[in-house]
Amino acid sequence: MPLVDQIIASHRIDPVSTPFEVGEIVQVSIDAVYVQDGNSPTIARIFAEYGFDRVFDPERIALFFDHTVLSGDRQMTNRLREAERFAESLGLRVFRAGRGISHLVALEEGWFEPGSIVLGADSHTCTGGVRQCLALGMGASDIASAMVTGSSWLQVPATTFVHVSGTPHSMTSAKDVMLHLLAEYRQEPFLYRSLEWGGEWVEGLDAAGRVTVANMAVELGAKCTFLPPTDGHEGARFHLEPVKAHTILEVDVAGLEPYVAKPHSPFAGEPLGKCAGVTIDYVFAGSCANSSYGDLEELVRGLNGESVNSRVNLVVSPGSAQIYGEAIRNGLLDKLLDAGAIVSPPGCGACVGTQGIVPADGDRVLSTMNRNFLGRMGNPKASIWLSSPRIAGRAAVLGQIPSVEEL
Amino acid sequence: MHYVRLVTGVVSTDDILPARYKHLSVDPQVLAAHVFETRSDWGERLVNSVIVGDSLFGIGSSREQAVTALKSAGVRAVVAPRFGRIFFRNCWNNCLPALTADLNGLVVDGEQVALDLDRGVITTAAGLECSIPRPSPWIHELLDAGGLLLWTQQRVANT
Repeated sequence: MPLVDQIIASHRIDPVSTPFEVGEIVQVSIDAVYVQDGNSPTIARIFAEYGFDRVFDPERIALFFDHTVLSGDRQMTNRLREAERFAESLGLRVFRAGRGISHLVALEEGWFEPGSIVLGADSHTCTGGVRQCLALGMGASDIASAMVTGSSWLQVPATTFVHVSGTPHSMTSAKDVMLHLLAEYRQEPFLYRSLEWGGEWVEGLDAAGRVTVANMAVELGAKCTFLPPTDGHEGARFHLEPVKAHTILEVDVAGLEPYVAKPHSPFAGEPLGKCAGVTIDYVFAGSCANSSYGDLEELVRGLNGESVNSRVNLVVSPGSAQIYGEAIRNGLLDKLLDAGAIVSPPGCGACVGTQGIVPADGDRVLSTMNRNFLGRMGNPKASIWLSSPRIAGRAAVLGQIPSVEEL
Repeated sequence: MHYVRLVTGVVSTDDILPARYKHLSVDPQVLAAHVFETRSDWGERLVNSVIVGDSLFGIGSSREQAVTALKSAGVRAVVAPRFGRIFFRNCWNNCLPALTADLNGLVVDGEQVALDLDRGVITTAAGLECSIPRPSPWIHELLDAGGLLLWTQQRVANT
């Protein structure tokens, strides 16, 4: 059976133990839960209001301070302290501000194990699919309930095997392919499904590319996602087989050019050539989609040793302290600073709009984020284009979206 | 009886409630005033309403405030051909019916409709009965308990 079925079967706790069908709702035990500073105050209030005073296992519940690392607003800082007190009262694991984006740190710290079920209070929890974990983003009530009971209700999804083959343009990265898929298919083949990935293009992805693919599964509308195992992928043992899936989607990326998503939707992707020349005022390189070490390397390649355009702010938010440290050791940080980049502490950074830099009215932003809905980043009077780190680096130098030849 | 409010196109949780509000307040009453504010000026129009979408409804983030704010603004149910999965969960966990049905062309904005969940029927002003999914046993359990959190509270009290 498909991987999601195997994982659900091994975790099912319904009284009725008959085989389940797609679309059926079952109850499962869960292995871990993690929340963020942005949503834990809501969860804390739920605990207080409903009188919950203990969790199923404090060692398997973590709170990450990543959405607002440098709080510029006292109301926000009050909420952060509230979150700290909440975590302490229950004995939860805490990853303090500056450690990095929850999903990336969770990967580093081994919170996702193959075949396990992990729930998260952020929609990009699906990133755990890199480690073949059934990793599900959910809302506050679901998370609070799971923290207390150690279980959750799930609707069994159908599985689609996404087989990606062909050699794209040399400048086309995982991000470009994901933006292409969103533009080409929207959510139609992916909605509510478990996505298993395979094919030579997928097998050839580096660590950063795998994170981007798993991360943007939620943009595709998927319930969950699984990448194939790789060498050095400790513990990974599930081979994903197309024949076990309900549907196979064949995707041919031969010759695919780099992509950019225009304002105001991740579905509004177009080949780079069509957006070349658009003036850009602000480049944000970060977010859980593209803040791995490999993404920083790509950003630096895009800068190509040149200075950031005098009109442009380039803000870089490394995904984690570990990635930041590696960037320092390998000289990447020097190159970013020499170019004139503003390097922020590791965290979600400008993505959500709660911390800097919030775009100005009329700003045209190019970002490596995964979403560009109107108002994202904190200003509905700004427009956001989405791209790969390579394109972002070049755009920061040129002050406009580059053509393919300029990359 | 509820008033139909038509929404066209794909609706994200950023449309329902922009990201920055999620952090500034947890009070649904406060958030209700900002519902859909980047798309239109709904004012009081959501009081006692059924939102009818014609496309994919509730994509994007997992923020539950999108649902609690809708309820606070007076929305009694959401009907759409397809739902974002996290939003779908958030709706039912909060006893806001998220009904997968395509009513495109069958109702107009502002008309009064009757909603019968148990029979799985929405009746339009003209008397047309449209099928909507009937609650499954688990959804019934959630609704009977008054939502996931009350269900959880009862579970904890019983162990």
